[in-house]
Amino acid sequence: MKAVNRILKSINTIPAFPATGNKVAQLLGKVDYSVSEVANVIKFDPSITANILKMANSAYFGSQHKISSINDAVIYLGQKNLLIAIQTAGISKYYKKGAAGYYDKATDLWEHSVAVALMSQILSRKITGNEDMTLYTAALLHDVGKIIMGEYIREEMKQIFDLVENKKMSFLEAEESVLGIDHADLGGRIAQHWNFPVEIRDAISYHHRPDLLEKEDKIMPWIVYMADEACLMMGIGSEVEGLAQRAVGELLKKFNLRMKDLETSMVMLSDDLNRARELFSII
Amino acid sequence: MSDLIVGISDFKISNTAGDVIVTYALGSCIGISIYDPVAKVGGLLHYMLPDSTLDAKKATDNPAMFADTGIPLLFKSCYKLGADKRRMIVKAAGGASILDDTNFFRIGQKNIMAMRKIFWKNNVMIASEDTGANYNRTVRLDIATGKTYVRTSGGEMKEL
Repeated sequence: MKAVNRILKSINTIPAFPATGNKVAQLLGKVDYSVSEVANVIKFDPSITANILKMANSAYFGSQHKISSINDAVIYLGQKNLLIAIQTAGISKYYKKGAAGYYDKATDLWEHSVAVALMSQILSRKITGNEDMTLYTAALLHDVGKIIMGEYIREEMKQIFDLVENKKMSFLEAEESVLGIDHADLGGRIAQHWNFPVEIRDAISYHHRPDLLEKEDKIMPWIVYMADEACLMMGIGSEVEGLAQRAVGELLKKFNLRMKDLETSMVMLSDDLNRARELFSII
Repeated sequence: MSDLIVGISDFKISNTAGDVIVTYALGSCIGISIYDPVAKVGGLLHYMLPDSTLDAKKATDNPAMFADTGIPLLFKSCYKLGADKRRMIVKAAGGASILDDTNFFRIGQKNIMAMRKIFWKNNVMIASEDTGANYNRTVRLDIATGKTYVRTSGGEMKEL
C-alpha cells in the first residue's frame, strides 16, 4: 500500500474526541445552568478533571488561592476560561506520545501547540480586539497531523531533507512530495474525523498557506499561520523543520501590522509562557 | 562538571573547566559565545530581538532578551570572573529566516545586523559565525577548551 493510503487509513484508529467540551459549552449556553450541573459533566471525565484543577491553579488564569474542587474551578475560571481549560485538557491526551520524527522529546509538540494557541490570542487581541475560543482550539490543534505523520517522516527524513536543501522546498512541500500528503492537510482530516466545524478544519489545513484558502474573509488560518511562524522563529517547536517555511507576503498588509507589532507579540508570549507552565505540565 | 542550559532571552557564564554551556533551538534568535583563553572564562547569550527600545521595562527586567542590552551584559558578567575584553574570542550562530523572505518576518536579519553594529562600534571582531539560512541551530561552549560547536537541524555537530 502506498504511504499516503496507509497514512489516511490510520486516521480511523484515532479515538473519538471527548464530548465533555461540547456538553459543557451547551450547558453554559443555557441561561439557567447551575455550577453543580457543569461540574457533574466534567467529573465524568477523570483525565479532564485532574487537568482542570492544575490549570485553575495556573498563574495564566490569575489564580491567587488554591483551588481544590471542580465546583470551585468552575466558579473561579468563569465561562470563557473554563472552556479553554476543558479544550486544552481534552486535546492534550492525543499529544502524550509526541511526534517522533519531528521532535526528540514527546512533550515538544505539546509545548509548541500551547505556545501557538497562546500566541493566537495575543494576535487576535491585537487584530480584532478580542480573544477567540474557536481560534484557540484551532491553534492548539494546528499540528495534530504530526501525531500520525511523525513515524512516516522519520523513515523518509533523508529524502525530505534533500528536497529542502537542494530543491529549496519548504518542509511542508517536501512532505507532500515524498509521502503524498502533508501534516497540515492530514491535520484537517483528523479534525473532520472528530467532527470539528469547518472553520477549525480550514485553519488547520491551511496553517502554512493561508493564501491558498479561497475564502478571503476568513482570518483564522492567517492568525494561526502568523502565530505558528512566530513560535518557530522563536525556536519553539522547530527542531527538525527549522524555518524551511514559505513566507506569505501579503500578511502584514492584510492586517495593517508592522514588524514592531510582531516583535511586541513575541515579548508578550515570553511572559505568557512563564505564567502558563501548568498548561505544559498536563501531559 | 555539568551542562548549563541557556533558555530564550537568557545567558550563562562560567569559569569552571568541565562546564559546557548549551543553548537549543535558535531560530531567528542569535547565540553569542565569548571566551577568554587565558582566564578560561566564557559565556553564552541567547537573545531574541535586536533592539531594547521596543520595551524599556522588559529590557530592565530581562536585558538578555535584546541584542543591545544582552551583549554588554554578557561581556560585563565575564569581566567579573576575570575575563579581559582584548582577549575575548567571539562567535555567533543563529538569525535564521523563513524562505523567500521579503520585507516581513525579518527578525533573523535584523538580529544579525544588530549584533554586527554593536561589535563594530565596540571594536570587537567576530572570530567566526554561522548565521542566516533557514535552519535551526544548537550551540555548545566548552569552558575547558573554549571550543564552540554548532549543530543544525538534521545536520552534524561541527566546530564554529
